[in-house]
Amino acid sequence: MSPTITAFEQSPDRGRGLARDMPVRWALEEVGQPYDVRLVSFDAMKEDAHRALHPFGQIPTYEEGDLVLFESGAIVLHIAERYAGLLPDDANARARAIMWMFAALSTVEPVVVQREAALYLERDRSWHRERMAMVEERIRGRLTELSGRLGDAEWLDGAFSAGDLLMVQVLRRLSGSGLLGECPNLLAYVARGEARPAFKRAFAAQRAVYTGKPLHGSV
Amino acid sequence: MADLILHTFDWVPEAPRGFVRDLRVRWALEEAGLPYSVKSVPFHDRGAEHFAHQPFGQVPWLTDGDLSIFESGAILLHLAERSEALMPADPRARAKVIQWLFAAHNSVEMASLPWGLIQFTGDTERTPGRKMIDDFLEIRLRRIEPVLAEREWVAGTFSVADIVMADVLRLVDRFDGLRGYPACFDYVERATARSAFMKAHADQVTHFAAAD
Repeated sequence: MSPTITAFEQSPDRGRGLARDMPVRWALEEVGQPYDVRLVSFDAMKEDAHRALHPFGQIPTYEEGDLVLFESGAIVLHIAERYAGLLPDDANARARAIMWMFAALSTVEPVVVQREAALYLERDRSWHRERMAMVEERIRGRLTELSGRLGDAEWLDGAFSAGDLLMVQVLRRLSGSGLLGECPNLLAYVARGEARPAFKRAFAAQRAVYTGKPLHGSV
Repeated sequence: MADLILHTFDWVPEAPRGFVRDLRVRWALEEAGLPYSVKSVPFHDRGAEHFAHQPFGQVPWLTDGDLSIFESGAILLHLAERSEALMPADPRARAKVIQWLFAAHNSVEMASLPWGLIQFTGDTERTPGRKMIDDFLEIRLRRIEPVLAEREWVAGTFSVADIVMADVLRLVDRFDGLRGYPACFDYVERATARSAFMKAHADQVTHFAAAD
């Protein structure tokens, strides 16, 4: 039985694959598991029916039989544990892959979010430039450290894992900022992630929601 | 079984004492009754050895034999695999614990940490950025309040998800941010009344004070 995820009916990211259904779609494509999608409107997300699935009233949610999950990180980990292809078998390597999942969401994403907030809210303020410089310095710090750790490896720890999936997805949010380009190996790392066939299928599927043009033979 | 060694700073300034994230690991280890030791790394001089274990120059990390992992959430999940005091074995229940563990980090702490940092600075200027941070936390607290009102622990029985969620919310409480959220407040009280928390907290504070 295919799981069902929820996604925005009208995504604020306008089909750029930055909403949180994207990593879930990508994970399902990586493991080759077909899935159904229920699109929800902003109004529907405020209703009790959706809140029963997601206490914070957001997307994505994941329904598989009588299991209901929210939190994209938890859903990706659930998929990675249930199906093969996103976590190594070796116990220590598995623990490290999970470590990178948390690193992506708890250590890298917060500084990326700060920049988005500053861009969004304070563009017209006199201190905007100064604040952006401060926020971008913080991001640079994290990127430099991550870049140092990655070195010239293809993925963070051996084979591609759920840790890389979440990290690439977080770093993608910096596209267009110029910051990724300051660490060429990170730029290449993100490009490598986006070049994966599973990424492309997931991207196309969420983009089709935005353009309104259905895919043929979509998963 | 290999030795568990928790690595943290030798010292931190007064303000973050009791809130450094090795607390979550200490708390989990105490709840599970797992033997462990604590090793220090210099706060002021973070060398190559530190970055080799924690690429962002932060703490904590845990060594378990030849495994070394950072990110307190990942460490907690690793420890939870070996103790039902931290997470049930049943796969469904386990999935819920993991859901709330991620929620505590990525949905609640994402809102509470920037808010907490502003409280630390004592900055009271009302900028749009400040308002957004206040609103973000308020939305999250409003959503979690009814959840905590109707259950003792987020995923049913006490788990690693509660260690993180309670630690996240206690930072908000430190600055009186839980006023108006009685269920959140009671939850923090309940969690921090546990002897494992009290020992973990006392141990952390003592550890840093010893280096003064």
